[in-house]
Amino acid sequence: MAVLTLCALLAPAQGARLVSQLSNSTVEITSSYDGERLTFFGSIEPDAGSSEAVVGPFHVVVVVVGPTQNRVARQKTNNFGVWINTNQVEYQNFPSYFHVLSSGRLTDITDITTLTTNAILPEAYTLAPTGDWWQSAIFGRQLVRLMREQGLFGIQENGVNFLSQNFYSAQLTLPSNAPPGPYIALTYVFKDGEIIARKSEGFAVRKIGFERFLALSAVQYPLLYGIVCVILALFTGWLGGVVFKR
Amino acid sequence: MQVYLPIAELSMNLFFLVGIGGAVGFLSGLFGVGGGFLLTPLLIFSGVPAPVAVASVTGQVVAASTSGALSHYRRGGIDLHLAMYLVLSGILGAFGGVATFALLRDAGQLDLVISLGFLVLLGSVGVLMLVESTRSLLKARSGIVARERLPNQHSWIHGLPMRVRFKKSRLYISVLPVLLIGLFIGFVGSLLGIGGGFIMVPALVYLLRVPGSVVIGTSLAQVVAMMGATTILHAVQSQSVDILLAFCLMVGGTAGAQFGAAAGRQLRGDQLRGLLALLILAVAIRFGLSLVLTPADVFSTAVIGGAR
Repeated sequence: MAVLTLCALLAPAQGARLVSQLSNSTVEITSSYDGERLTFFGSIEPDAGSSEAVVGPFHVVVVVVGPTQNRVARQKTNNFGVWINTNQVEYQNFPSYFHVLSSGRLTDITDITTLTTNAILPEAYTLAPTGDWWQSAIFGRQLVRLMREQGLFGIQENGVNFLSQNFYSAQLTLPSNAPPGPYIALTYVFKDGEIIARKSEGFAVRKIGFERFLALSAVQYPLLYGIVCVILALFTGWLGGVVFKR
Repeated sequence: MQVYLPIAELSMNLFFLVGIGGAVGFLSGLFGVGGGFLLTPLLIFSGVPAPVAVASVTGQVVAASTSGALSHYRRGGIDLHLAMYLVLSGILGAFGGVATFALLRDAGQLDLVISLGFLVLLGSVGVLMLVESTRSLLKARSGIVARERLPNQHSWIHGLPMRVRFKKSRLYISVLPVLLIGLFIGFVGSLLGIGGGFIMVPALVYLLRVPGSVVIGTSLAQVVAMMGATTILHAVQSQSVDILLAFCLMVGGTAGAQFGAAAGRQLRGDQLRGLLALLILAVAIRFGLSLVLTPADVFSTAVIGGAR
């Protein structure tokens, strides 16, 4: 199983701190990998040295962000009866994975400004500073929709459950097409629409064993890798001929 | 049973992969085509990233064609001399195709060119083959013995200089059309991610008048060598050959190709060509519709730059 991490971050104002834990610090991709379930859990505690108990109701929002990529969104238009890609907008450092788990409707938890400035909504990543902002806003909405359809983006507004007044847990199923790399889980604790504590934890999704060996060889020894592929193909083809020969 | 594909970076059902490999392998054994023009779109439709699908299918085509080529070789159905000329010019063409591929991808118009290319090529080849095979089938039905084209029936192609004798094919023709066919198929094949068997077979039959007994074997031998070279080119250039994906497809493909080759012996040449023509036309129509019909989603997205 995974190594458990435990640490706490102090929040200055409200005298509350978040003690949280993540079930896995690495997600290992093996040959039978078909996604993985992660559990986030934690407790809202009074500040160290503070004697007064923390009182809810609290809301918890967990934002999981995957490694970034440069993406392009394209639009087809009809030109003389033929559909051709004509418009495109590029997004630099766009997350390859983005999931939000929350204990209630995001708009009930806090206002839209807080959500946007803390990048809790995926649309925050589509606000490219360069180029035509109107274009990037339209294409950004479509890009988020496409990512959602692939299961890489999502918002689960009942994803966080409070087991007691101060103790929550949340489950996230990482799909098998979530790309390998460093992931960050940001946890925010809200009370009356204000962030009273926050914490970030990292975990890694990586290939191990044979899968790692194959992926590395393909990049480090491409010529050899290609030759091995062809030899494997010739051998398989020959073997097939021998086995099925009648 | 799910299996994780390390280069495609997603997991797929093992039986599904072996199954589509087998189905396409059956057709490749039956008609002597590589089957890439069916398998690549199938994989992309199943969610495999397009560059990985194109590159891995080239590996699968090598395997599927190897078993077919070997069984033709044992029956003496390969003109190695002719195949050598086709392969050498084909590899030259493949370099050109790979360079064009990169240019078009940067311009964002690769999809359009691939669709148009498939439409034009498959459409014209399919129509030509369908007309020819229908004519010969009708003749056979009305009792007229369809006269096989004899090797000594010459066209203008046979009047070109630099003639070489191809003993197995009983041909004494100029190497220029042979090299041109190889070059063209190498270029188109690497650009569209196909072996080019469906262009090679009619080109050999109708342009060079290669006898039917060696056409399919020679075409398969050429596909093995050319797609082998293209696999290595893809592995070096884009590092998108997924060996595990290719292997799953290969296992199904080689088995399917054996049954396909056996089924092929039950059918006459013109019947085979008619069926292949229908298959090719169906794929061409599908590509044509994708260009003309309103797409389900006018928006699409792709990763650009370093990451796959």
